[in-house]
Amino acid sequence: MKKYVFFFIMAMLFSSCAENITRMAQYPKMYEEKPVTIAVMPPINQTPHVEAKEYFYTTLYVPLCEKGYYVFSPLMLMEMYQEESAYDAELFVDSDLSKFRTFLGADAVMFTVIKEWKKNVVAGEITVDVEFILRSAKTNELLYKREGNVTVETRVNSGGGFGMLGALVDMAATAAVTAAKDKIDAGRKCSFFVLSDMPEGKYGTMYDKDQKHPAGKSYVKKSIH
Amino acid sequence: MKKIFLFVILAVVISSCESQKHLYSWYDSEQATYRYVKERTDESLEKAMAQYKKVIEKQNGDRKVVPPGVNAEYGFILYKAGMKEQGLVLLNAEIQAYPESERFISQIIKQLEK
Repeated sequence: MKKYVFFFIMAMLFSSCAENITRMAQYPKMYEEKPVTIAVMPPINQTPHVEAKEYFYTTLYVPLCEKGYYVFSPLMLMEMYQEESAYDAELFVDSDLSKFRTFLGADAVMFTVIKEWKKNVVAGEITVDVEFILRSAKTNELLYKREGNVTVETRVNSGGGFGMLGALVDMAATAAVTAAKDKIDAGRKCSFFVLSDMPEGKYGTMYDKDQKHPAGKSYVKKSIH
Repeated sequence: MKKIFLFVILAVVISSCESQKHLYSWYDSEQATYRYVKERTDESLEKAMAQYKKVIEKQNGDRKVVPPGVNAEYGFILYKAGMKEQGLVLLNAEIQAYPESERFISQIIKQLEK
């Protein structure tokens, strides 16, 4: 019996953490180029939700800083893009990025493609599907690419115990809260989750030590509650 | 012996998982900045500035230093709000803390001084 319990625990732990491929094998160019500075482009929005672009752009900065990179302030970059008429990421995603290096000092440019942005107010959920593409501004090479489909729960609990009335109160509260804050939270959670297997940058505690850490699958789907 | 073996394996497996530690403390700065950009009101400016101050003064993350871009963003907003001198001090503090930001910050200062 003990053996079974042991085996079960091990299976659970390995299945929740381990992947077969290492970060070095999945993202070799990241270790070769070791980018320090990242410029984030406004997202390419393939959904009909115009606001998704704005919400998501705000949420890219913190997760990338937490990965140990120097990330240019999106607020300041946006003003610069507008000044230089470089607002459209579509124009740059496949083209030469050397200007980002000469003009801003960026080692790499992060592009994102929002493929789905769905709010389900009744269920209190937001589903975000985003592809992350990091390209080198030195060599134009693809450094990192991963897509995630993440559902984030935004439900607010009134404490329950009031039957139908409680459910209605919950629903109204959820609708009100599923405003800007939740959309920003959902975007940030998605970015944190998808970028979790990205090799760490200069300021990360595991910088240049995470080559053997597991890399995730290139497409991931997850519900975060 | 068995117990030790189990403990070692668990420790190895758990340490290989992603850690939840943070390099920096962000508080509500992301939300406050977003609101300021959207609304551009005095109230949202005040709230954003209070958050920047908090991020600059109270860092409990692993690095215990101001995160990339925060001094610069705060300085940028102050400059635009008319507090030019204070703004420039903070923009230069960004270059001091993160020399890799020099080209970008210099471009921003040039743009502001136009």
